[in-house]
Amino acid sequence: MSALRVALAQGALMPDTRAALAAAGLPTDVLDNGDRRLLVPAGEDTTYVLSRPGDVPTYVAHGAADVGIVGKDVLLESDADILELVDLRYGTCTFVVAAPQDMIDKSLDEYRHLGSLEVATKYPRVAAAHFQKRGIQVEIIKLGGSIELAPQVGLSDWIVDLVSTGRTLRENRLAVVEEIAVCTARLIANRVSYSRDRERIAALASRLETWAAAR
Amino acid sequence: MPDALSGLAVPRGFRDILPTEARELHAIERTLLGAFADYGYVPLEPPAVEFASGAITMDERRMVRFLDRDGRLLALRPDVTTAVARVVAQRYRDADAPLRLSYFTAVFREEASMRGSEREYDQAGIELIGSSGALADCEVIALLADALARCGLVSVEIDVGHAGYLHGFTDELPTEAREGFASAARDGDLVRALGLARGAGLAAKRAVALERGLRHRGPDVAAARADAPKGSLKALDELEALTPLFEAAGIGAAVRFDLGFVPALPYYSGVVFQVTAPGLGFPVAAGGRYDGLLGHLGADRPATGFAINVPHLHQAVLDAGWTPDGDSALLLLDPADDLVVTVRVATALRRAGIAVCVGPVAERAGREVRAGRVVDEGHVAYEGTTRTLEALVTLLGGSLE
Repeated sequence: MSALRVALAQGALMPDTRAALAAAGLPTDVLDNGDRRLLVPAGEDTTYVLSRPGDVPTYVAHGAADVGIVGKDVLLESDADILELVDLRYGTCTFVVAAPQDMIDKSLDEYRHLGSLEVATKYPRVAAAHFQKRGIQVEIIKLGGSIELAPQVGLSDWIVDLVSTGRTLRENRLAVVEEIAVCTARLIANRVSYSRDRERIAALASRLETWAAAR
Repeated sequence: MPDALSGLAVPRGFRDILPTEARELHAIERTLLGAFADYGYVPLEPPAVEFASGAITMDERRMVRFLDRDGRLLALRPDVTTAVARVVAQRYRDADAPLRLSYFTAVFREEASMRGSEREYDQAGIELIGSSGALADCEVIALLADALARCGLVSVEIDVGHAGYLHGFTDELPTEAREGFASAARDGDLVRALGLARGAGLAAKRAVALERGLRHRGPDVAAARADAPKGSLKALDELEALTPLFEAAGIGAAVRFDLGFVPALPYYSGVVFQVTAPGLGFPVAAGGRYDGLLGHLGADRPATGFAINVPHLHQAVLDAGWTPDGDSALLLLDPADDLVVTVRVATALRRAGIAVCVGPVAERAGREVRAGRVVDEGHVAYEGTTRTLEALVTLLGGSLE
C-alpha cells in the first residue's frame, strides 16, 4: 500500500497540528527540523505535503493529497469539493463584520441613503455569501491584507475579517458588527481517497477525534 | 507567443482535442457504445442546447448560458438527463416495458477560472427507465463494470451505497432540521451534518450509529445495522439483496458497500454507486436510482442510470498502459511518376481492404504506418522487395476480390 499523502497548512496551525498527528500515532519528528523540503516522506506509510493554508483544499480536492489539516476559514473561502471529517477544535478564529467604533450608525444611515455599503476583505467569497444571506447590498473590495486600514482611510465602510483575540480590531478602533462564523481546524479528505483508503483514513479520523475531544 | 497567434486562442476551459487523443477517444466511444448495445441499450442524441430553466438536475450557475434572438435564456446541455426525461415524458409516457437509452456526447459546465477545470467534456452513460428492484440495480452496475473493463480499465473499485440509508436518519429529525442535515451530508461536511443532527435532538445511540455508518465500507453491511432507524434498515436490506446478484454477475470482488458515499445531487432515491481507479483523485463514473425525478415532468416512472466521465476514464486507462486498437496499419505509398498508375494501385489496394495514403503524413496520431513505393501497375516495393499486388495484399492481411 502506498504512503498516505497528508497536506498540512504551514503557519499558525502547525504546532497544534503536530501535536494532533503525534497523538494519532503519525511520525512528526520530520516536521521539526527547519527543513525546507515541501514533500516530506515520513516512514513507509506517510508523506507530508507542506503548503500554504489556502492551497490545502486544492491539493486534496484534486487528489494530489489524500487528506489534509486546514482551518474551516480556508474551507469556507475555497468552496473546494472535499469531505470534512473531523473538527479538531484548535486554531479557533472568527469571521466578523467590523466597522469603525463611532461609524456604525453613520454607515447604516448611508446604507439607507445610498443603498449599498463598501466592504473591504481578504475573503470575498465568505463576505459576499454572508451579505447575500442577510439581503444587504454590498460592493466587495478585495485586499491582500491589513484590512483594518481600509475604513480608516475611507476605502470602505465596513470590513469582513478573521479575528482570533480581537486586539488588532480594538487597536484600530474597530468594533464587531456581527459574527459570521467560528472556525477551527478540520481533517479533510479527497472523496476518492476516502473510498479507496477508507480503513486508514477512518482510523486516523477516529484517533484525531478522540484526541480533540479529550483536550 | 507572437501576436499573430494570440487571436487564435480558445475560450478558457475549452480546447482542441488533437488527433492522437481524438483517436483514443473514438476507440473508447466505440467500445462503450458496443457494451451498451450488448445489454439492449439504444442510442439517444440530445440537442446541443436546452432552455436554461428546463434543466432539472443542475444548479443554474453551473450552466453555460446565453440569450438567443427570441430573448430566451438557453444553456449548452449540462447533462443528458434533461433530454432523457423529456423524451420519456413526451413519447414513452404510456410504455409498459422498460426503456433502455445510451449516449456518448459532450456536456458543458460553467467552472470558476483558475481551477484547472474544463467547461466542455465528453460524458457517456445509460438510463434504465421503468424498472425498479434489485435486478435493475444490478444490471446497470454490472454493465458499468463490463463497459469499463472492455476499455481496459481493471483494478477498479465499485462503491455501492443507498440514499435511503441517510434518509432513514433524516426522517427522525424535526422537519426544520432535515434540509440542513441532508445538504451538509451531500456537501461532504460530515462535521456539520453530525453536529446538526445531534443539535436537533437525534438520540445519542442513533448519532453513534450514524457516525459509524458514514465510516462503514466493506463487503457487507452487517456492522451498520445496530441502532439504525427503520428506514435505514430497509435500505441495508436492499443492499444485502444485491450481494448474490453481484456474485452471479462476476463483479462481487470489485464491490464495496460504502454507506459514506453520499452523491452531491439531491434527487437520488435508492441504490447509488461510483467507480474509482487507482491514482485518480476523481471518480471515473457515478450513478444511481432516481425514482422521483421523472414524476416532476409528468412521467412518473422508476429510473436508474450512470454517467462515465470520459476524460477521467481516458486518464485512468492511459495510466494502466492502454493503447487504442482496432485500426489496421496505414500503408504510406510513395507515388510513381505515372499518376494514373499510382491512383490505380492505391485504388486496387484500398478495394482489397488495405488502408492506403499516397505520400507522407505530418501527423500519424499514434497509428502504425508502413512504407511502400509504386513500381508499376502490378508491383509495389515494400520492405526492400518488389512484390506483386497479390503478394502485398496477402502479406498485409487484405484480400483481393
